[in-house]
Amino acid sequence: MSKLAQLQADFQASILNSDADLFKKKVVDDAKVGAEKRLNIYADAYRLRIIEALATAYPKLHSLLGDDLFDNTVRQYIDQYPSKYRNMRWVGDKMSEHLQNVLPEHPIAAELADFEWALGLAFDAKDVPVVGIDQLSEIAPETWGDLRFSLHPSVQLLDLHWNVVPVWQALDAEQAPPTLTQHHMPCLVWRTDLNSHYRSLDAQEFSALLQLKSGANFGSLCESLFDSLGESATQQAAQYLASWLQAGLISQIKS
Amino acid sequence: MFSHGRDTLHMEASISNHNALPNLGFGLGLRTDHYHEILETKPKVDWFEALSENYMVPGGKPHYFLDKIRADYPIVMHGVSLSIGSTTAFDQYYLKGLKQLADQVQPAWISDHLCWTGIHGQNIHDLLPLPYTEETVKHVVERVNIVQDFLGRQLLLENVSSYASYVDSTMTEWEFIKEIAERSDCLLLLDVNNIYVSSFNHGFDGKAFIDGVPANRIQQIHLAGHHNHGDYIIDTHDAPVIDPVWDLYRYAIQQYGSVSTMIERDDKIPPLAELVDELQIARHIAAEVVAA
Repeated sequence: MSKLAQLQADFQASILNSDADLFKKKVVDDAKVGAEKRLNIYADAYRLRIIEALATAYPKLHSLLGDDLFDNTVRQYIDQYPSKYRNMRWVGDKMSEHLQNVLPEHPIAAELADFEWALGLAFDAKDVPVVGIDQLSEIAPETWGDLRFSLHPSVQLLDLHWNVVPVWQALDAEQAPPTLTQHHMPCLVWRTDLNSHYRSLDAQEFSALLQLKSGANFGSLCESLFDSLGESATQQAAQYLASWLQAGLISQIKS
Repeated sequence: MFSHGRDTLHMEASISNHNALPNLGFGLGLRTDHYHEILETKPKVDWFEALSENYMVPGGKPHYFLDKIRADYPIVMHGVSLSIGSTTAFDQYYLKGLKQLADQVQPAWISDHLCWTGIHGQNIHDLLPLPYTEETVKHVVERVNIVQDFLGRQLLLENVSSYASYVDSTMTEWEFIKEIAERSDCLLLLDVNNIYVSSFNHGFDGKAFIDGVPANRIQQIHLAGHHNHGDYIIDTHDAPVIDPVWDLYRYAIQQYGSVSTMIERDDKIPPLAELVDELQIARHIAAEVVAA
């Protein structure tokens, strides 16, 4: 290993482990500041910068946990998941997984993190034109059964089991959150007009969107609704499709 | 894709004979807080500097606003994670993303920092100093050549603020910068605040730094504020430029002539008008120096 490579390996280890002893002999010591303090500036800045970035990515999680618990949780995260990303934008991508491990007593925390991360992903997802409802009207109804659809890249489907959305809304309005309760409330997150949006879904619409995402055609969608809706299954499927097109969820109709 | 109506404004012949890049005049760092105001009021700013990583995302608002603002103003791209001094291989995904963004934005130039940010696939998200040695010079020159070949253009490298220096260093920072710039034929982005911060932290003369770097390769200047902790200074870029930094800027312009100059505020972003006013100070200083 070259001298430069060794220096970088030692300095990086000193920062990641917050251990100035590992490296201080390589740094100019002086009466003014001292080598250890100089190295601690780098070790502290590393953590503070990521804490700040994750507070930006997860603002309501930060509010829910409070400063101290959020700070402690992120410091554990930094040690467990050292950043592999060039772009700070992606550093918090394992936060939900981390919260499941370190805060099992607060199961809503991981789902709130999922929700906030999804809002972020929708915000800067790839730009792809969406299909309007007028395009559907140009297709003969008798051929609808074979139609498949591509969802816009910003569309995300979250299977939430806690009252994440009401909690997020209350925190967003700077109000006390409601009591945290278990409540199956799937959620759709997507982007229109440059802004991220969300909407709670019932189990039936959530299942229908999941099928669409996995490549099911319109005929299959109608069949899956038939068990619960009978003859009105096709009408319901058509209503769903119209509302998804109007909301800007669909980027392609494939015949 | 873009109109370039303003590109001809405020241009002067560059003093450099090592590049054909224009003097863009007086600019600001492009910040999300100011997107709407920039488009609505078209402030008296000659150009903007976009942080490359902020736009190395798939799509959405960042690209929408950058494209809109690019239609009205020249843009330069400024990165923080090229890690030109790292001893592990370049992140090809990052380099390709940078080139793709440059193809989209058509920036007047691309800059990053003379530092390293991590090795072995890990990122410290900081601008870590390099030891000033012949070994490092050779290593960095080799890598600058790779990047310049890949991007098909000269790269600008910026001096960083530092809080530690290495016992292994055998030359001054300005000698180190000069060697790298001349051997790799790259250009320089001089952050005058960083010179001040490092000169305070390491006890050297900021004017010696300005005298020591090759004047004909200074393509851009950054001005910013910092936080003084008494025995050391942290480069926060979150406050107005202080008088001693303005004095160093005046000295730099006296040595180099007029150079594209901008205020770089990274945190505690004030209203746009405040930064436009601060930029006026730079215009006045440059005008006074030129008049003298």
